[in-house]
Amino acid sequence: MSDVVTLERVTRSYGSVTALDDVSLGFPRGRFVAVMGPSGSGKSTLLQCAAALDTPTSGTVRIGGVTVSGLNETRRTEVRRKHVGFVFQSYNLLPSITVEENLTLPLRLAGVRPDRAWLSELVERVGLGGRLRRRPAELSGGQQQRAALVRALAARPDVVFADEPTGALDLRSAAEVLGLLRELVDELGQTVIMVTHDPAAAARAHETLVMADGRVVDLLSAPAPEELAVRLTRLNGVLT
Amino acid sequence: MIRTALAMSGLGGLVVAFFAVFGGMALVTGTGVIVESGLRSQVNSTRLTGADVVVSARQLVPRKEDLPVALPERATLPSSIVDRLSRLPGVESAVGDLSFPAAVVPGQPSTSGAVTPGTSGSTGPADPAAAGHGWSSLAFSGGKAVEGAPPRRDGELAMAGARVGQEVRVVAGGRPGRYRVTAVIDAPGLYFADSTAAELSGRSGRVDLVALRAGRGITAQTVAAEAERLLGDRYVISTGGARGDAERPGTAAARGMLIALPASIGGISLITVGFVIGGGLSLSVNRQRRDLALLRAAGATPRQVRRLVAVQGCVAALAALPPGAALGYYLAARLGELLEGTGALPPDLPLTYGPLPAVAAAVLLFGVVRLAAWTASLKASRMPPVSAVAESKAEPRVPSRVRTGGGLLLMLVALGLSATPLLVRGEIAGLGPATAALLAIVGLALAGPMLVQAAMGALARRLPSGLSAPLWLAVTNTHGYALRTAGAVAALGMMVTLGLSVVLTQTTISQAKADEVNAGLADVASVSAPRLGGVPHGLLDDVRALPGVMAAAPASTTTVLTRSLAVGDDPGLHARTAMILGPEAGGVVDLGVVEGSMGELKGDTVALDADLGEVGERLDLLMGDGTPVRARVVATYSRALGFGALVLSRDLAAGHTTTGLDAEILVRPAAADLSSLAKTWPGAEVSRRAAASIADADATQGLVNIAVLAVLIGYVLVSVANRLVATTTGRVEELLALRRLGATPGQVRRMLRWESLVIALAACAAGLVLAGVPLVMLSVGFLGRPWPAGPLWLVPASVLVVALVVWAAVNLPVRRRHLAL
Repeated sequence: MSDVVTLERVTRSYGSVTALDDVSLGFPRGRFVAVMGPSGSGKSTLLQCAAALDTPTSGTVRIGGVTVSGLNETRRTEVRRKHVGFVFQSYNLLPSITVEENLTLPLRLAGVRPDRAWLSELVERVGLGGRLRRRPAELSGGQQQRAALVRALAARPDVVFADEPTGALDLRSAAEVLGLLRELVDELGQTVIMVTHDPAAAARAHETLVMADGRVVDLLSAPAPEELAVRLTRLNGVLT
Repeated sequence: MIRTALAMSGLGGLVVAFFAVFGGMALVTGTGVIVESGLRSQVNSTRLTGADVVVSARQLVPRKEDLPVALPERATLPSSIVDRLSRLPGVESAVGDLSFPAAVVPGQPSTSGAVTPGTSGSTGPADPAAAGHGWSSLAFSGGKAVEGAPPRRDGELAMAGARVGQEVRVVAGGRPGRYRVTAVIDAPGLYFADSTAAELSGRSGRVDLVALRAGRGITAQTVAAEAERLLGDRYVISTGGARGDAERPGTAAARGMLIALPASIGGISLITVGFVIGGGLSLSVNRQRRDLALLRAAGATPRQVRRLVAVQGCVAALAALPPGAALGYYLAARLGELLEGTGALPPDLPLTYGPLPAVAAAVLLFGVVRLAAWTASLKASRMPPVSAVAESKAEPRVPSRVRTGGGLLLMLVALGLSATPLLVRGEIAGLGPATAALLAIVGLALAGPMLVQAAMGALARRLPSGLSAPLWLAVTNTHGYALRTAGAVAALGMMVTLGLSVVLTQTTISQAKADEVNAGLADVASVSAPRLGGVPHGLLDDVRALPGVMAAAPASTTTVLTRSLAVGDDPGLHARTAMILGPEAGGVVDLGVVEGSMGELKGDTVALDADLGEVGERLDLLMGDGTPVRARVVATYSRALGFGALVLSRDLAAGHTTTGLDAEILVRPAAADLSSLAKTWPGAEVSRRAAASIADADATQGLVNIAVLAVLIGYVLVSVANRLVATTTGRVEELLALRRLGATPGQVRRMLRWESLVIALAACAAGLVLAGVPLVMLSVGFLGRPWPAGPLWLVPASVLVVALVVWAAVNLPVRRRHLAL
């Protein structure tokens, strides 16, 4: 199976701080991968570099077969629009436009006509039917995050990056969103890479990468939440 | 507390408040300086510097609940007073002083010094309209005879810059004559024997002023008190700086104009300052909404939150007050120069620069800041802490209905008012559009958010689907953030409206006036003699005798006080400029007589604007020197816009003007050969176009309005730009979110450019409509055509300025790093 996103010897430093230290990785298609690690372990930097939001100091990043590390801001944006979907902790829905307009905003920016059938399928799947004409502020947090999920998938991206997608949600909404993410992977063959610090969230993934000090220190396959919690506590202990 | 407040405010909000207060302080202080000068400035005593006490007639007419009106024409005193005053204890000497037009006829050898004495060290040449005096006044002016003996008989004269024994041709009191110089003096002016002066002045037993000199060791105050005991309060007794007022009633009357000037535009300035400061502070509060909410959640009481906002506002205000005051004094000085340049402000009436305007402005602005801070923080401080945190991010809010309804109503009323020029003609019709513009502006500020929301919503729904994403985002943002956008749209629209309506209303009315004057004075030339102090006797007869002259009539202007003549006038006494014409003027000037005849303009009669009265009515007037008269209306006329509401007969005005001379002779036809006059009457000047300068005062007012308006517009533009910059920098998060969702930096920039274009277009559209409707009505009413007269390039210019300001304020603050992920 080919990798959707590959990192080759990627290093990212901010001044004297090395947030990502010579990481080489491949994310296979159709998998749900969680990235965990203590604060400052480099998991957010890994996501930003892998998603072409940030440019590595050295090394190569390929998304959907396109090498993005050498591209300028505008070109990278165009690659992201085509190949990458995002789900953020703070939803990032524009408050001034309707939910429906939010869903198609990235397509609009890309100048692509939305696939109506695909969109309504997604909307039905996440259970947002009938709420499309509302403003985001009129939706609950869980509903907003589900809308963000539809938005991320609207362009049929190669990969969806999720940055703490359940961080702002209550337990039930969080469970719903995680269930949806897993469903996307299992039923639609999507690829999802999710950064989280919640072992319960990571437990819904196929694999969990554990990071510390800018390196991948462990790769666990379908770990139990308890096992993960222990791993993380030990890492934290090492750090402190 | 202060440290917390400042730490929380962030610089952006404070900078906006700072500039708002800074500019407001400058405007209010500047206005204050003009007003204070109008109340307290003193005419420089130019001539009677040697007098300790000056006694004069009252030149002020008190009004109910209003400032007294200053009379510009000389009110005189009976000369018998001089003797009574000279017998007062402590008075060393007293003299009845007279000033009358006197001038050496130009073009004679070696007498140029009479006009410009170089040695006296006095303040320049004597005004020919008041250069003649009696010999005994000389001692009180600080001058003395350098050589020769005082003039004692008719035909004798003392002056500077001549030789003793020389014969000079002089026109004095309008009478040409030859005089022998008996004394050379070191002061400006022409001094005659006292008896000659009394006769030439035509005052018949009266004097202009009584100058007193105190005896050795006796103070001016003592003498003034003695004089007051003798005369009571029927006369004005002046010492020190107040002597200048007594000496120059015309100059002192100009002070009234200084008060009237800011009154006309001061209201707009204050409203604007209030809006700008209120807007600045509410912007600052909105930026901190979330922080304030967190404070509330952390246990701060609403009162504490309000106090925090108040402290922020006050700190910004304190920092802005001193530089604002400095700018205010500077602006006032510039305005003073402008006024002096146009001749509206006599050079010997300097502006007063005291601390009072700055102090008053500081108190006023501090109050405005406190009030604005309180209003701005009221909502944020009252929210329950939980909903405060929840609501803190929900920026799109719905504008209140009452606010929108009130605003729309105001705009409707404004449009209704603007129709007045279609119904009424005359000075008052101009008030309609001016008031309409003001109301419309306030209406726009109130209804702006809803209008912007509705307009942008309609636009957003009609946008074609294939539209570029940046343009679509710009329109939907403007729609969604209507409250945020509307502030800028309303303020800029307000500037467009104000700028266009004030300037073009004035130019349109002036054009209408000029049209009437030109029609009324078609084919008329003018002969005047400003260097002789007025038209000398005999010139009129000579003009009439010239071949080709069909008719000639003397004319001048004076100021009279009337009761209210029309709706909208001051209810109390009203000073107005009036032309003085004789019965023969009907053959020269065409006032558009409706009823009666100009030929009847003899004795105590007047002609009146046909809209204000009818032939046969009696009209009570106060003449320019304060004498009450009752005059009969013998004619009514239609060209009141160009020639004023009132025309006095020469007989009525005789003896009530300072000079007693006509200002010009109007001659028909204009083509008549008047060139020979230059030879027979040196000093006479011929102008092909008659001046009939009755609208001068209005022109000055207009100029000042435009100058103040320019400053005001600059102030508002800076503050709007400031607010837009603050809004844009506050949107960095929103722009980053767009970037994360797949917008390229170029798309974000294009969106911002479209947004600025949308804002600028909306502002210009609103401004042009609100200014345009009244102006069209005004033009139809006054000029009979739908477009106004004046600088129409202002329209594209204002659109361009608005577009530039918005573009710069919205786009320039967004730097590359703001758009980097």
